[in-house]
Amino acid sequence: MPKMLPTVLGNLVSKPATRPHPYRRREAFARARGRIIFDVKQCVFCGACALRCPASAIRVDRNERELVFEPFRCIICGVCVETCRRGCAQMIPHYHSPAYTKPEEYYRAPVEVKEENQL
Amino acid sequence: MAVKTILPFGPQHPVLPEPIQLRITLEDENIGQVLPALGYVHRGIEKAGENNDYPLNVFLVERICGICSATHGLAYCLAVERLLGIEPPPRANYLRVVWAELHRLHSHLLWWGLLADAFGFESLFMQIWRVREMVMDVLEKTAGNRVIISVNAIGGVRRDLSEEQISEMLHTLEECEKQLYALLPVMLNDYTVKKRTAGKGVLTSEQALRLGVVGPTLRASGVAQDLRMTGYAAYGELGFEPIVEQGGDCYARAVVRARECFQTIELVRRALQQLPDGDILTKPRGNPNGKAIVRVEAPRGELMYFVVGNGTKNLERMRVRTPTLANVPALLEMLPGAEFADIPVITLSIDPCISCTER
Ligand code: SF4
Ligand code: SF4
Repeated sequence: MPKMLPTVLGNLVSKPATRPHPYRRREAFARARGRIIFDVKQCVFCGACALRCPASAIRVDRNERELVFEPFRCIICGVCVETCRRGCAQMIPHYHSPAYTKPEEYYRAPVEVKEENQL
Repeated sequence: MAVKTILPFGPQHPVLPEPIQLRITLEDENIGQVLPALGYVHRGIEKAGENNDYPLNVFLVERICGICSATHGLAYCLAVERLLGIEPPPRANYLRVVWAELHRLHSHLLWWGLLADAFGFESLFMQIWRVREMVMDVLEKTAGNRVIISVNAIGGVRRDLSEEQISEMLHTLEECEKQLYALLPVMLNDYTVKKRTAGKGVLTSEQALRLGVVGPTLRASGVAQDLRMTGYAAYGELGFEPIVEQGGDCYARAVVRARECFQTIELVRRALQQLPDGDILTKPRGNPNGKAIVRVEAPRGELMYFVVGNGTKNLERMRVRTPTLANVPALLEMLPGAEFADIPVITLSIDPCISCTER
């Protein structure tokens, strides 16, 4: 017990090692794997990311030019980021906040591009 | 006359948060026969591994264990690399060692905390886990996640370390080592710790060898066997020596793990200092064909991967043998004769990881 005394005294005066989490959040580490976002302006809907995704969290419809992403299936492995040659799939260090439902995220090609194609 | 009671220990138990059931026959306070019941968390990962493309399996096998995921990824990658006949670049080998050893460090610290918790030494538990948190932060800063770090890939690693990260890592490890040194006298010499662990659950070296025990449990029984001695990845170049204790009881197992924490810090330091320059990934080509067995040292002991490829992108078979499965028979020999109150400590002393065991 005496051996623990310096630690005990140190702990009495030092800051707590824990944080009151939802009220005070820690800054995310720069290289943390937080979540995946898609910069849809870059996307050519090639479907390479969907093919390699281990969790099948991405669906790409080439004809509709639509990408559906299920963030709650995603394991944030980063394979899509490595696969995408257009720099569309990106990883940011901020986590997805908890949710009651598991919504899908729809990414569609910008409208003006679509109109151009139809002409 | 002694009263016989059959007591189910688990699958949900406050001391052992892992779903294994031990059916324990008690005679008064003494343990008689012990029967294990496994199968509460079987997830069919081996079968799932046959349906996935082989590069994607890395992410699957990492999810076998919730603590030593890097070691599982490493073992699988080594096996597939052997089938493909590719060699990862030297820098990748060193980085693999760094991350695998950091996982061992946090796993042993976690175990030490749980041990202290099992006999009610809450303040030691919290001190140790505070040190562990530094290791977790280092993992998150460098690999992106705390536990499932997905750094291994077929042919190398997926993330590199920058100079700043290396110096930050070295700095954190130094701090970690300092704080652990401060705790060491309590961990090893405290009356409570000794009273609850010394002489409990003794396993002799003959028993250990007969039962095929692995890992720190084996080394605490005086057998110098550690697969890192085989020198896979970069271990061959780091001058690794196994840590052995003679006691064979819970205390010896605790000492082995405590000493391994310091050894691990030293290994990471050496690996970072000798880190060669160059690429981190050799692109895999073709599909695996043939059979390969790879054995690596996970924090809990020998981890074996047997992989059969048939020339397609799917594997024919993936078989995993995890350390806890090898250590459960030892547990069944340690428990009989012990006292009721020692069940948690003895059970914890093999560092059971049931989600590994059942896959
Ligand atoms: S995100 Fe990238 S890989 Fe995926 S469909 Fe778009 S362009 Fe192709
Ligand atoms: S990070 Fe991994 S799991 Fe998530 S969408 Fe990309 S490939 Fe799929």
